[in-house]
Amino acid sequence: MTPLNGYLLISALLFAIGLAGAVTRRNAIVVLIGIELMLNAANLNFIAFWRFGPQPEAQTGVIFVLFSIGIAAAEAAVGLALIISIYRHYKTTDLDRIDSMKG
Amino acid sequence: MGYEREAGGRGMSYLELLNLAAPEAIIALAALAVLAADMFALRELELHFRLAISAMISCVGCVAAIGWMLALPEHGNVMGGIFIVDPLGQLVKIGLLVLTLFTILISLESNFTVHAGEYFALVLLATAGMMFLVSTADVLMIFISLELTSLSLYMLTAFDKRDVQSAEAALKYFLFGSMSAAFTLFGLSLLYGLSGSTSLEQIAASIRGPRLDPLLVLALVMTVIGLGFKVAAAPFHLWAPDVYQGAPAPSAAFIASGSKVAGFFVLARVMATGFKGAEGSGAWHGYLPGWVPLLAVLAGLSMVVGNFAALVQTSVRRLLAYSAIAHAGYMLIGVLAYGGSGLASLLYYSLTYGLTTLGAFGVVAVVQQQTGGDRLSDFAGLSRRSPGLAICMMIFILSLAGIPPLAGFVGKFYMFSEVLRPGSPGMGLLWLVVLAIALSAVSLYYYLQVLKQIFVAPSPGAGTWVSVAPVTQQVVLGALALAVLLLGCFPGWLVQRLAGAMAPG
Repeated sequence: MTPLNGYLLISALLFAIGLAGAVTRRNAIVVLIGIELMLNAANLNFIAFWRFGPQPEAQTGVIFVLFSIGIAAAEAAVGLALIISIYRHYKTTDLDRIDSMKG
Repeated sequence: MGYEREAGGRGMSYLELLNLAAPEAIIALAALAVLAADMFALRELELHFRLAISAMISCVGCVAAIGWMLALPEHGNVMGGIFIVDPLGQLVKIGLLVLTLFTILISLESNFTVHAGEYFALVLLATAGMMFLVSTADVLMIFISLELTSLSLYMLTAFDKRDVQSAEAALKYFLFGSMSAAFTLFGLSLLYGLSGSTSLEQIAASIRGPRLDPLLVLALVMTVIGLGFKVAAAPFHLWAPDVYQGAPAPSAAFIASGSKVAGFFVLARVMATGFKGAEGSGAWHGYLPGWVPLLAVLAGLSMVVGNFAALVQTSVRRLLAYSAIAHAGYMLIGVLAYGGSGLASLLYYSLTYGLTTLGAFGVVAVVQQQTGGDRLSDFAGLSRRSPGLAICMMIFILSLAGIPPLAGFVGKFYMFSEVLRPGSPGMGLLWLVVLAIALSAVSLYYYLQVLKQIFVAPSPGAGTWVSVAPVTQQVVLGALALAVLLLGCFPGWLVQRLAGAMAPG
């Protein structure tokens, strides 16, 4: 197995774990953690493709990852703010109990 | 291959970049100006004046950006597709700014927040994100501007802090949205791995082959999940009804209009440029794997889900949300008519749809402010209380339903005839167009249900409705209705501009 295959397997595993967490957990904060895991799996992909790709001297993959880390941080900030605003109304972060709209 | 080598010195100066990106820079500066004005000068004033002054600064920014693009039509391509300025992109940007302008104007009379500066700054930042989104052919820029738009829109959805539904809608929007962003990023990372580049054209050049790589199929599906969420296509539509119902009306209108236009433009660009050579075929008896059959299935599903779920809604906002999902299905057919003037038909449809839905949400906002609800029964007898508003709503609803001579009809006709044009890649998609036309007939039922409440149903007892709509609202909604009517009667005006902007050279 080449190193690239190993990294891709790990990142696919990370993505699957994150997705499973985001879909099955009912706590909004844990769902957010799952989503962050999915984003980081993609980052690992970029780094692996950059490192073992045909042109590691072009820094494209690294630059992409730097931007996406920044965006993930902004996303976490927005997400936690929204969770706080939900908590003010419901006094819970359980997604099953946040269901005033249906149809 | 890497853009930093081209950027690193030769040919590219920051002054030139600033010159090309001036409209976006103006919008970002206007956002900062609104924030600063609200923070330093307006704190002590009455809310009404703060809203008016903030809105005025934002409008000046939008008009300045439009004026810049009209006065100085630039062309340029920075760093191999990272930032592209071409006539078509500029036309779409002007359309987006017009939609933003109307969003700002219908927010004028709102009372859902005391944070006027932050609200308008976020609207402008979302607009800047959309403008970057339509002027790039590089997946890195697409991801960044998609996120700039989305993060601003999440906040705009949550802006009514007293309202439980607003917070709940925002959380759902955020969770679905960031999950689909993760899918997009993973798909883009696979595309980068396959091609070693982030430019859409180089990705297309490296994926061309007799057979589809399994990794490419995975990348395609993941990218489509992310963009399909953005345009609210089924089955990634679950957030839309809650957001349209719970968000403050101007925010919902903005999500339904501006972000749809930008989302469809970038979807069409990613598919037609980035996945060029992986089209496949969605013809009835000639199926070939690729993105065309994938989007054809999404289009069919969106039309069926949207139109049938809208039939049973009692809240007008949810009804508009499901109708938006159905319209996303129609517009996906426009994406499938890529090549030739197919893109022009898609843009005509999405821009006129944006104006129409903005107007419809404007009317809902006025009615909701005065009756306290957005159920169908709250619209009962609207024509006798506020005839002007009722006529505007009639124009918007009939245009959504696709009744001639309104813009909605021309848009559908133009788009469907583009798909079926001889030699079009979408020729095999007759089944989809037949489905679309059949479901348009279904949609008439729920659109006319709204009009029946407005014009036929007796109004509930007197006293529930005291004032008429504020003058500014009436003028803005009247202007939107007039635009929908004129674009329907004289479609050539916009169509010729779009087709002219697409012509090479």
